[in-house]
Amino acid sequence: MSAPGPDGAVLRLRAPSERVSPRARLMWITTDTLRGVVIVVFLSFATGPWHWFDLPGWVLWAIAALLLAYAALVPQWRYLVHRWEVTDTAVYTQTGWWARERRIAPMSRVQTVDHREGAVSRLFRLSTVRVTTASSAGALTIEGLDRDRALAIIEDLTRMADSVPGDAT
Amino acid sequence: MDPFDEVHGWHRLDRRMLLVHPVREVVRFLPVLIGLLLFNRGTEGGYWGLIGVAIPVGLGLLRYVTTSYRLTPGRVEVRNGLLNKRVVSTPLDRVRTVDLSASPIHRALGLVTLRVGTGQSNDKGDGRLDLDGLSVPAAEQLRSRLLRVSGAPDPEVPHEIRRRVVLTLDPSWVRFAPLTSSGVVIAGAALGLLTQGLRTFEWAPTVDEHELQRLGVTVLVLGGLATIVVVLCLLAVVGYVVTNFGFVLSHTAEDGAWHLRRGLFTTRETSLDDARVSGVSIGEPLSLRLAGGARLSAIVTGLSKKQQGSSVLVPPAPRGEVDRVAAEVLGEDGPVGISLVSHGPRARRRRWTRALVPAAAVAVAAAVASYYLTPWFVVVALAALAAGVVLAVDRARALGHALVDGHLVARSGSLNRRREALATGSVIGWNLRSTWFQRRAGLADLVATTAGGRQHVRVLDLPEDDAVALARAAQGGLLEPFLVL
Repeated sequence: MSAPGPDGAVLRLRAPSERVSPRARLMWITTDTLRGVVIVVFLSFATGPWHWFDLPGWVLWAIAALLLAYAALVPQWRYLVHRWEVTDTAVYTQTGWWARERRIAPMSRVQTVDHREGAVSRLFRLSTVRVTTASSAGALTIEGLDRDRALAIIEDLTRMADSVPGDAT
Repeated sequence: MDPFDEVHGWHRLDRRMLLVHPVREVVRFLPVLIGLLLFNRGTEGGYWGLIGVAIPVGLGLLRYVTTSYRLTPGRVEVRNGLLNKRVVSTPLDRVRTVDLSASPIHRALGLVTLRVGTGQSNDKGDGRLDLDGLSVPAAEQLRSRLLRVSGAPDPEVPHEIRRRVVLTLDPSWVRFAPLTSSGVVIAGAALGLLTQGLRTFEWAPTVDEHELQRLGVTVLVLGGLATIVVVLCLLAVVGYVVTNFGFVLSHTAEDGAWHLRRGLFTTRETSLDDARVSGVSIGEPLSLRLAGGARLSAIVTGLSKKQQGSSVLVPPAPRGEVDRVAAEVLGEDGPVGISLVSHGPRARRRRWTRALVPAAAVAVAAAVASYYLTPWFVVVALAALAAGVVLAVDRARALGHALVDGHLVARSGSLNRRREALATGSVIGWNLRSTWFQRRAGLADLVATTAGGRQHVRVLDLPEDDAVALARAAQGGLLEPFLVL
């Protein structure tokens, strides 16, 4: 089965139009670096003073280098992928880096709109907006939004979701 | 009839629960009672024993006195508790399922426990609506009132509702019991407990060494394995009979619901509101499929994965019966019978790589081991490769989807193959997921999310353009703003 539209042409799904805040890269770099530091410190303590297991020095260095490369590169890649769009009828997000996930939920099925700020994201004045539907497999998350932008989106979403009748199942 | 409080419409549970609650409380306090009797064997022992029995009996009576329920035009409410008063209240249009179950004590007294499934409730029991102890007629009447809200609201319908029986259990289906993973797990757990028990009592069979030598180790090992298999099969059969004895699936047109009754000791009757049944899932695990069997469960809006026990429609049974019931539940033949659209050569190739790469890794490791340890490991290497090939062929054959009669149909898997049909009206969102490998092959997983069952139906490895076209055909309009040529 090929995929002709009503006019015979093949239609593709485009990426959502809006990017997240550029500061999101810094936030992801910070969290990934912090996580890397915690892992390396734990491993070096476990092999060194605590004597839990023996790890050759070069393995430890290799792990540190990998984690550093992850913290430097993956946030850039993630920033290129993370996008979102809100229209009158639907919410559309694209997330991930290795596995790209596009999620579309109709406005009529939106149940809750959450606003979250973690400790690190607060440093960068960034927020996460999470839109849930009645399906646990269908939550849409937009990470790394500018705080003011996020609040505006939430206001829009709540207003639009409220105007649609029904119990959203 | 139940005692009835005219002013506020609060009903009590059935009076016969006065017999059940105290007995149950005494059983619950049994360890304490035994302790009291053992350690107070002096003159006061009798007193203490009496008090030890009186407290649970009193608690049981209080439980009866403090529990009541009522049905207002819009809600169903249950209140209980003496010190911590608690009222659980739920809107009637949120009622997804009604369960009637009866333990052996209940059955002897003609009572049932009614449980309302609302989909909102969590498993901690906080939001649970349980009415433990109604007489059978009262429970059936309450059930039909709970379920009728969405259907024709005629309060004067005589209770004898016409039932159309769709499926009754055929005893010969017991042959499928050992082939289900749950059957094997239950049996395995039982066997584990048994051996544990034997070890605790330090019982060991005496072994005659001469006999052993004469038989040879191989025969002994084979014999042991055969015994284990036979025992596992027997236990699985017992489990199947205990849960599914007297299985009857019927449909009532008046209150628009499916009713499923089963159980040997504890009988359980589940009712599913028609309006909430948004699809079915036909499970055909490899072993069951080889024996020509399958099982069926409903995708019920608002029932999460944890509550799937109440959505079984057909226990392991012949494929033909499963298909017939599935078509009846959906009201259409198409989603069950139609041959599915294949996902093309790239999807098939992906099934091959995904099955063969792990198999090859095992094979290489085994080959190395055969070089260093014993040549016998070559057998392991070959077996791994063969299993990989068989798995790949079977998984590639399973892949398919369709959009017929307003249902999205998807099938995938080998060891645990599933064919799911979901009404397109119950789809509440779309996810398109593709890893880097999938994007390179131009494939994507299309996931239709829904508020019931496993919360989603996944169409595996569909060519990207087909995925968009399928989602668009299933639910026109939603994707339009995001499409480009």
